[in-house]
Amino acid sequence: MHKLPPKAPFSHRNWQLMPGVVLGLGLIALVLLGLGSLLVMAGQLDIGSVWRSPYLRGVVVFTLWQAALSVGLSLLFALPVALALARFSQFAGRSLLLRLMELSLVLPSIVAVSGIIGVYGRQGWLTSLISSWFPDHDWNLYGVSGILLAHVFFNAPLAARVLLQALETVPAPQLRIASQLGLRGWWLWRGVQWPAVRPILPGLAALVFTLCFTSFAIIMTLGGGPAATTLEVAIYQALRFEFDFAQAALLAVIQLMICGSLWWLAFRNRMQGSLMPSRRFGHPILLRSSRPQRWLGAALLGVFFVFLALPLLAVVLRGLPALVPTTGSSMLYSQLLPATARSLLIAVPAGVGAVLGALITVAAARKAHGRLVMAIPTITSYLPLVVPPLVLGTGLFLLLRPSLGDTAQGWALVSFINGLMALPFVVQVLRGPFADLDRSSLRIADQLGVLGWYRWRWLYWPLMRRPIALGLAYGIALSMGDFGVIALFGSPGQPTLPVLMYQQLSSYRVSDAAGTGLWLLSLLVLIFVVLSAVGRPVHSGQAARVQSPIGEPRHA
Amino acid sequence: MLEVNKVSFRYPGVTTGWQFGFSVAPGQCVAVHGASGTGKSTLLNLIAGFLKPDAGSICWQGQAIHGLPPWQRPVSSVFQDHNLFEHLNVATNIGLGLHPGMKLTNDQKNLIEHNLDRTGLSGFSDRMPGELSGGQRQRIALVRAISRRQPILLLDEPMTGLDPEARHALRNLLLEEKARGSSLVLASHDEEDRKILADHVWNL
Repeated sequence: MHKLPPKAPFSHRNWQLMPGVVLGLGLIALVLLGLGSLLVMAGQLDIGSVWRSPYLRGVVVFTLWQAALSVGLSLLFALPVALALARFSQFAGRSLLLRLMELSLVLPSIVAVSGIIGVYGRQGWLTSLISSWFPDHDWNLYGVSGILLAHVFFNAPLAARVLLQALETVPAPQLRIASQLGLRGWWLWRGVQWPAVRPILPGLAALVFTLCFTSFAIIMTLGGGPAATTLEVAIYQALRFEFDFAQAALLAVIQLMICGSLWWLAFRNRMQGSLMPSRRFGHPILLRSSRPQRWLGAALLGVFFVFLALPLLAVVLRGLPALVPTTGSSMLYSQLLPATARSLLIAVPAGVGAVLGALITVAAARKAHGRLVMAIPTITSYLPLVVPPLVLGTGLFLLLRPSLGDTAQGWALVSFINGLMALPFVVQVLRGPFADLDRSSLRIADQLGVLGWYRWRWLYWPLMRRPIALGLAYGIALSMGDFGVIALFGSPGQPTLPVLMYQQLSSYRVSDAAGTGLWLLSLLVLIFVVLSAVGRPVHSGQAARVQSPIGEPRHA
Repeated sequence: MLEVNKVSFRYPGVTTGWQFGFSVAPGQCVAVHGASGTGKSTLLNLIAGFLKPDAGSICWQGQAIHGLPPWQRPVSSVFQDHNLFEHLNVATNIGLGLHPGMKLTNDQKNLIEHNLDRTGLSGFSDRMPGELSGGQRQRIALVRAISRRQPILLLDEPMTGLDPEARHALRNLLLEEKARGSSLVLASHDEEDRKILADHVWNL
């Protein structure tokens, strides 16, 4: 009849749909199995017993309370920062500040905590400074104040970036009109900014709440005793020290119920906007601002910058002498190098797995039809945020227990769970670029028969190289910084970097801990630098053009 | 012979739909004429298989093609813009039309160079679409469409917005294709395009 284009390998729709569906169903099954095996161990579940035990009641109440306070404080800080960043789009150091805010997503919490201790701890810079002025203050980092401080340190930048992104989705013509009308203050907020921010607020609050609610390393290091313990830590203690599976299961179910219903409330209608910061920002429009407003904005951003930079600076300055000793050679490396090898052994497979899982999830989300099938990739990209990794790990551990014995298998489990935990973040990194091919390009590709493997090779791969490299870096970084799953399944004799650092911190070898922290931080920076270099297209000019296809009328 | 028989189509949620019916013999060009919103692009998308008709049939040489996916239809499309993959160079953009996985024979590689020469674009194979003018981009889209040697060419405002010189070059390419026996369906606002290229004008 007529000449057909050669058939592309893997071009059947199911090749794109099925892996993602299988992954999603597998994940759901895994969570159910994990929880199920805990419940079976627990025998019967008596939620009432939580209220009868003052300790458990205290834990639940404290977890809720600190998470709610952290959300409030983070948003309270993030919103003015985002507004200031949206308004002042051209000042020296803006991109540095944005980078610093990005870092908080991947900064291992234990490293950040050591930096925070270096600034706000008993011998910290700021504390010493304040003590010399007000000798009688009773500031104590350990306890609620430290936990809140650390949570704000991590979540305010995240929230500010997401809010900034929402603010920058305001269509340019609308901003120009606002600018022309000279809208300011309340009316600018009411007419332009609030409508842009409102749709993402519930989801953002839910995300920050979940992150604070399930926070582990921060509570372990800064929490003080039973008065400041969260569910996640209580689960850890029940599993590790008391071998009380019933209690762990009970606490896990409570945690799942609270986080799950929160997410259900926030996303009842549907997922709105993107909750993860992307790296693309729109074109700035100048809005009218008065002189006091400019000063206020500058002061706010300055304070925020110092707030984020000081702990990092503390890590660097305190870590350097430990890593590069002025006299003799450091004994630290004999511990650092094996720990680095272990960390990489766990983190690299976790990162690769997270990227592969994210790719097939994103592909399946595009091919899925029908409510039920479409729900599966969505669940894959959010479920790991809600399910406590410790619970999942323990469930799997119990399930596999007869055959799971040696360290290597424990590490494989840790790597696997780390990969799952990174999945939601990597999905967010890859989702945007994946949708970049517009409809007419896809139609042309259909007509030419550029399908399946060929479509991936020629259309997606060149576009997604950089995002994939970035996603891989995120995945590896999140796993390298993990101190939760590894605390449960690793053996203290063979620590990964975060575990080593925790051991040093808790045995008051502060300078060693600082050295380990700096080492870990530099390693993460190196991973990001290397992977972004690898992800860069071969022709350097090509990158710029890919980001600004001429077909889009940007100035229309 | 391309035959469009009582093909009807309605966008979901819209009350009024369209019905199309006409035929084009090999070596002929039908110009579809009508104000915007009268369904010119819809018609071309139906023939290409990007949209599915509610009823009716589309046949080529007596065989129904309306059930086939876009990649199995004997058609090549050129749109007003967005024809090229922005992240791939000119040679790859054309090459994907010859083999969807870029597994090109030497003859095919030579054909690409030859066709670029013929259209005054020799030496452009390594350029990226972003570096080219609108007229050059459309010529490359047309070179790809022609190189595929499919018997039906669907042209959706391919020359709108181009300067007279580029229009002239594109028209000549299309006339050559007609002479070679291709069936052309042209949607164009331009009176002159229709006068020069079309054998029939069909008003929507």
